[in-house]
Amino acid sequence: MEAVIDVAGVDKMYRRKVHALRGVDLQVGAGEIFGLLGPNGAGKSTLVKVLLTVIKPTKCSGSLLGKKIGDKSALANVGYLPEHHNFPKYLTSRQVLRHFGAMSGVDRQTRNKRADELLEIVNMSNWANHKLGSYSKGMRQRVGIAQALMNDPKLVILDEPTDGVDPIGRKDIRDILKRLKSEGRTVFLNSHLLSELEMVCDRVAIMVHGLMRQQGTIQELTEDGSGFIIRANAPLSPSTISAFQSSCPTIESAVNSDGIEIKFQTSDADKVQPAIDALRSNGVVIESLGARRPSLEDLFIQAVSEEPGGARPGAQSESPTTSKGAHS
Amino acid sequence: MILMQTKAIFIDAYRELNAKKLFWLTMVINLLAVFIFASIGINEKGFSALFWTFDGQFNTSMMSAETFYKLQFLLWGVPYWLSWGTTILALISTAGIIPDLVSGGTIEPMLSKPIGRGRLFLTKYLTGLFFVGAQILVFTIGCFLVLLLRAGSTEFGLFLTIPIVLAFFSFLFSVCVFVGIVTRSTITALLLTILFWLMLFILNVGDSIMINQRERALMKAESMPAMVEQQERFAQTKIDRWIDEGKPVPGMDGEPLPAGAEDSLEAVSTALMIAREEAEDAEKGVKTWTAWAARVYGAKLLLPKTQETIGLLSRHLIEDEELDGLINLMNDNNENSQNGPNSELNQRVAAVYEARTMKWILGTSFAFEAFLLGLSTIIFIRRDF
Repeated sequence: MEAVIDVAGVDKMYRRKVHALRGVDLQVGAGEIFGLLGPNGAGKSTLVKVLLTVIKPTKCSGSLLGKKIGDKSALANVGYLPEHHNFPKYLTSRQVLRHFGAMSGVDRQTRNKRADELLEIVNMSNWANHKLGSYSKGMRQRVGIAQALMNDPKLVILDEPTDGVDPIGRKDIRDILKRLKSEGRTVFLNSHLLSELEMVCDRVAIMVHGLMRQQGTIQELTEDGSGFIIRANAPLSPSTISAFQSSCPTIESAVNSDGIEIKFQTSDADKVQPAIDALRSNGVVIESLGARRPSLEDLFIQAVSEEPGGARPGAQSESPTTSKGAHS
Repeated sequence: MILMQTKAIFIDAYRELNAKKLFWLTMVINLLAVFIFASIGINEKGFSALFWTFDGQFNTSMMSAETFYKLQFLLWGVPYWLSWGTTILALISTAGIIPDLVSGGTIEPMLSKPIGRGRLFLTKYLTGLFFVGAQILVFTIGCFLVLLLRAGSTEFGLFLTIPIVLAFFSFLFSVCVFVGIVTRSTITALLLTILFWLMLFILNVGDSIMINQRERALMKAESMPAMVEQQERFAQTKIDRWIDEGKPVPGMDGEPLPAGAEDSLEAVSTALMIAREEAEDAEKGVKTWTAWAARVYGAKLLLPKTQETIGLLSRHLIEDEELDGLINLMNDNNENSQNGPNSELNQRVAAVYEARTMKWILGTSFAFEAFLLGLSTIIFIRRDF
């Protein structure tokens, strides 16, 4: 797969004090929706800004759309929605779109046509001639997304696109993202809203304290923790549970309160059968049996909790941390 | 693409100024100034304002309507309105251009476009100059039309006002932009620029005082040898007379000199003693004021020459003879006084200013502007946002 973003060893040190990025490697393929997640202060926005030349990296090698990072000409094919954008409030949404279209080098006729089309797509046509100063945050976000698409970009980078948007708006944005993917564009999403990413992303990466912790498809990342879960109504004695665990090595945990919940750390259904037989032979009534897969949230919390000091926003230690489980 | 982006930045700058109402407000004030300029006049009966004429000696027999308007333009329009009024309004209008550009949330989308940082910054700088230029243009066209319609004069030299006042403004705007990029604050940029302007004003006043004092001291020092010589001649005549009369002369033939006298001449003439002391003081004065004038000149050398830049307009707008005539007319009553415009001192001071060439005035001022603008651009290019 052709890499739209391909960077290695991205490092950013602010004034020799804050180490925001610590040798980040990242590959994003053409046509995919890629999600970058991490706690506040992880370095997500810094990484995006490095890619877009807003911030100069301390060290960086790689390319964006086949051109060296820092080459402004690559940005003609990139659309960007910043996290805390502040588009001119004295402009109408149509004027904002046309202005940024012109800044991206879109000719007048095309940008006039495209501005109206995009306002239609983000459901802002009725507000096209109203000034941004009168918009809600969600409306400004919609205009921001439209702005990022004005130059018909090959790569769209959206930093917290659903920030301040209501549930209906979020669904609209998800639909837009799917539409962009179907048009063959690459979408790079920066967000800490895990459920949003889980719903739309082909691949994700988890970033903590300036390091890329994990990277891959959601399937790949959640495979390690996947398995089965059995719930039964009858409590078992502790000795029975202990014996049960020793006889079945794939059992991860067995909780005994009102009933029993047994988690199996295997995705092989055959290995679960003996346990089912054992439970039934003990007269236990199985209430439910199903596959389980850790959520992105589980992975995220796991990645963050592995950090010394946990997910403290902006707490960047000077000592390097290992990139356990990182793979591309 | 360059033209498209430049046009987009200019249109955006106009919309921003328009949204703040500052552009049109300044334009209206400019037109009001033109209206006031047009509403006054001079006719065969006397001075006129709107529909009223105030009969008196100040009429067209004293000066032509053309001269009257040129005089008003040079005495009021340029030094007060364009140099102070328009510049203050222009600074208020444009001080926010750079701080607004680099504010969080605004700069990121701009920098993520295919435009170099240096070009983006300098284009923004030019938008400020462009809109101020537009204001000056309106005022100048207005004044040109007043001169044409009210005095029948086509004074194209009036349009020199545009580059000269724009250059004057650009010196201050470079300071405003520098402070704006460093502090990211509009109000700080505005206040520090005005403070800088005030400092230049004080320096100009200081320069004027130093030049006046130096020239005064030089004139005195130049006049003293003749006075001393005259006193020496008087004293020598007196000594000769005393010798003829057989009177003893102090300092000669063993006669003692009175206290404080250096020779026989001083012994017989207190006036000579005073004249010599004054000559000595004048020499010291010349040294002192020359040193101070050099210091102020040195300080000015590195800074923009706002006063001299505006002064270029007077130099080039009207002929020297015409200007002298106007000044004489204005200062008719003072003509023979020591401080009158034609006094030697004023002529010498004027000559000092005249010796400061346009190349020196504009060259050193633009060098200052280029240095500050270059520094601001480097800061903008290197900064992380």
